[in-house]
Amino acid sequence: MLLLTILFPLLGFALLGLFGKKLKEPLPGVLASALVLASFLLGVGLLAQGGGRFQAEWLPGIPFSLVLDNLSGFMLIIVTGVGFLIHVYAIGYMAGDAGNSRFFAYFNFFIAMMLTLVLADSYPVMFIGWEGVGLASFLLIGFWYQNAQYADSARKAFIVNRIGDLGFLLGMAILWALYGTLSISELKEALEGPLKNPSLLALAGLLLFLGAVGKSAQVPLMVWLPDAMAGPTPVSALIHAATMVTAGVYLIARSSFLYANLPDVSYTIAVIGLLTAAYGALSAFGQNDIKRIVAYSTISQLGYMFLAAGVGAYWVALFHVFTHAFFKALLFLASGSVIHALGGEQDVRKMGGLWKHLPYTRWHGLIGALALGGLPLLSGFWSKDAILTATLTYPFGSLGFYLGALLVAVLTAMYAMRWFVLVFLGEERGHHHHPHEAPAVMLWPNHLLALGSVLAGYLALPHPLPNLLEPFLKPALAEVEAHHPSLGAEWGLIALSGAVALLGLWVGYTFFQRKALPAWYLAFEAWSREGFYMDRVYNALLVNPLKALAEALFYGDGSLLRGYFGLGGTVRTLGQGIARLQTGYLRVYALLFVLGVLVLLGVMRW
Amino acid sequence: MSYLFASALLFALGVYGVLTRRTAILVFLSIELMLNAANLSLVGFARAFGLEGQVAALMVIAIAAAEVAVGLGLIVAIFRQRESTAVDDLSELRG
Repeated sequence: MLLLTILFPLLGFALLGLFGKKLKEPLPGVLASALVLASFLLGVGLLAQGGGRFQAEWLPGIPFSLVLDNLSGFMLIIVTGVGFLIHVYAIGYMAGDAGNSRFFAYFNFFIAMMLTLVLADSYPVMFIGWEGVGLASFLLIGFWYQNAQYADSARKAFIVNRIGDLGFLLGMAILWALYGTLSISELKEALEGPLKNPSLLALAGLLLFLGAVGKSAQVPLMVWLPDAMAGPTPVSALIHAATMVTAGVYLIARSSFLYANLPDVSYTIAVIGLLTAAYGALSAFGQNDIKRIVAYSTISQLGYMFLAAGVGAYWVALFHVFTHAFFKALLFLASGSVIHALGGEQDVRKMGGLWKHLPYTRWHGLIGALALGGLPLLSGFWSKDAILTATLTYPFGSLGFYLGALLVAVLTAMYAMRWFVLVFLGEERGHHHHPHEAPAVMLWPNHLLALGSVLAGYLALPHPLPNLLEPFLKPALAEVEAHHPSLGAEWGLIALSGAVALLGLWVGYTFFQRKALPAWYLAFEAWSREGFYMDRVYNALLVNPLKALAEALFYGDGSLLRGYFGLGGTVRTLGQGIARLQTGYLRVYALLFVLGVLVLLGVMRW
Repeated sequence: MSYLFASALLFALGVYGVLTRRTAILVFLSIELMLNAANLSLVGFARAFGLEGQVAALMVIAIAAAEVAVGLGLIVAIFRQRESTAVDDLSELRG
C-alpha cells in the first residue's frame, strides 16, 4: 500500500511520457493532478491508520525499505498537498505550451522521486530519490531547452548538486564502515549506546550535511538556486516551496539521532544556516527579476530552517518548512500570475501599479509578502518566532544566533515589502498591453495557498497555547533537551520579534515607496544585484581553471585520437593495396604461384 | 639425362597451358601434363638410382586419378550453374 503512493505519480510519468502527445490539452494536467491527489489521499489515509512500512529484498544487506511515520507522513502531506495545488495551477499556466504533456510527465516524476526520498528508511533508497529530484529539477529547469541560457541554468543546478551528492555518498560510506548498515531505523538503534568513534562519526555527519547544503542551496553551494528561475514558474514554486530544496532540511531532521550526538557539527550547521539566511536576504534587495527576489528569499528562509535544525530544534525546522511551503508557493504562483498578466514580463522595474488590474492576485501577493515578512498572526510569524526562540532555548543555540536571526528578520520584512511595492503599488511602468487576471484554474490554488499562509502557523502556537505539531513529530525525532523560558520571557521575545517584523515591514514600505533612493543604498543594491559577486568568485576560482584544464585534456584527447586515426588510416591503405592482389582470377593466382616457385628455386640456387 | 630434359619441357608446356587456357577442362589437362612430367622424371631417376622412384610415380597416378574425379565433378557442377567453364568468369572471391 505504501509503495502505491510512489507508484501513482510514477504511473503518471510513464503514461504521460509514452502517450502524452496523443492526449488533448487539459487532459495531461488533469491526469497528473489527479494522480498526485490520489497519493495525497492515500498517504493521509495510511497516516490516520498509524503509518506503514514496506520492505523488499534488493541489494544484499540493503533492503529497499520505506517507512511512513509521523515525520515522513508530515513531509508527504506537504509534498503531495502543495504539489497538487501547484499541479492544478500549472494546468492554467502551461496551457498552450508545446511541451504540455512532457511538462506534466516531468512534474509527476518529480513528485514520485520526492516521495521516494521522503519515505525512505535507508540512506541508499533516500539517495535514489535524492538523485531523482536532481534529475527532475534538471529536466524542469531546462524545460524550455531551446534557450541556451536556460539549458545552462539547468546544468548549473545539476552540477552544483553533484558536489553535495558526493558528500552524501561519502557520508553513507563512513556510516556503512562504522555500523555495517544503512537502514535509518537500525542506525538509530545502534547510536543509542555510547558512540564508537566520535570523530569519524562527526565526519560522516558533516559529509551528509554537505549533501544537504548542495540540495538546499546553502552557503557555499547556493549559486544554482537563483539561476533555477529559468524554468516555468510552477517549476520554481514546486522546487522551492514544497519539495527539492527542503530535502536537505528533511535529511538533517531524519538524521537527527545522529546530529543530536554531535554538538560541533550541529553548531556548524547553525552557523552555515545563519550565514545563508543573511546572504539570501541581502542579495534579495538588488534583484530586478520578480522570481529572483523570491528565489533569494528561499535561500534565506532555508538558512532559517538550517539554523533551527542546527541548534537542535528539529521540529521547529520542519514547522518552518510547513509554513514556508504555503507562503513561498503562494509568492511564486502570484508572481506567475503577474508574469501571465503581463505577457511574460519578469522585470519589476517595468511593473508597478498592478493593484487595480489584478483584483485577486494582489491579495495573494500581499498575503504572501506579509507572511514572508513575518506579520504577526500570519503563518510566517509563528514559525520564524519559534526559530528565534529556539536559538535561545535549545542546547546548541546562543545569543549571537538570536541577534543575527533577528536582524535577518528585519531584512526579510523589508525586501518582502520591496517586492510587493514594486510590483503592485506606485505608478504603472511600461505595461505592454492591458493586464488581465489569471483564469480560475490558476486562482483557486492560490486561494487555498493564501488560506494556508494565514492559518498554517496555528498548528504550533507558542507555550501555553496549544501546540499540535511538536508532540506529533516528537516520536520520530531525536530527543534534545530544551529548557523552557518563563512565560513572561517567552512572550517578551514574541512581542519583540513581532515588533521587529512590523518595523521592517513599515520601513520597507515607506522606503521603497519613495521615488529617490539614497546613494549608499544604490551602491549596496548594485552589489546585491550580483549576489555579492559570488558567481564571479566561483568563476574565477573554480569554473575557469577547471574549464582550462578540461580544454587542455580535450586537446590532448583530440591529438591522441588524431594519432590513432592516422595509424588506422595507414593500415587501411596498406590493406587496400594488398587486397588488390586478390583478384579472384584463377590464372593470376597460378602465375603468382609459378613466379613464387621460380623465385624460391632461384633463392635456393643462390 | 635426356629424360629429364623431356620432363622439363613437358612441365613447362603444362605451366604454359595452365596460365594461358581459359577453359577449365584444358587447364585440367595442362595440370595432368605437369603431373606426367613429374612422373617421367621420377621414372628416369628410378632407372638411374633404384626402384623407389617408380613407387612414387604410381602414387602420383593414383592421386591424379582421384583429383580428376573430384575436379571433373566440380566442373560439371559449375557448368550446370553457369553454362560455362571459363575460369575467368569465376572471380567472385576477389578481395
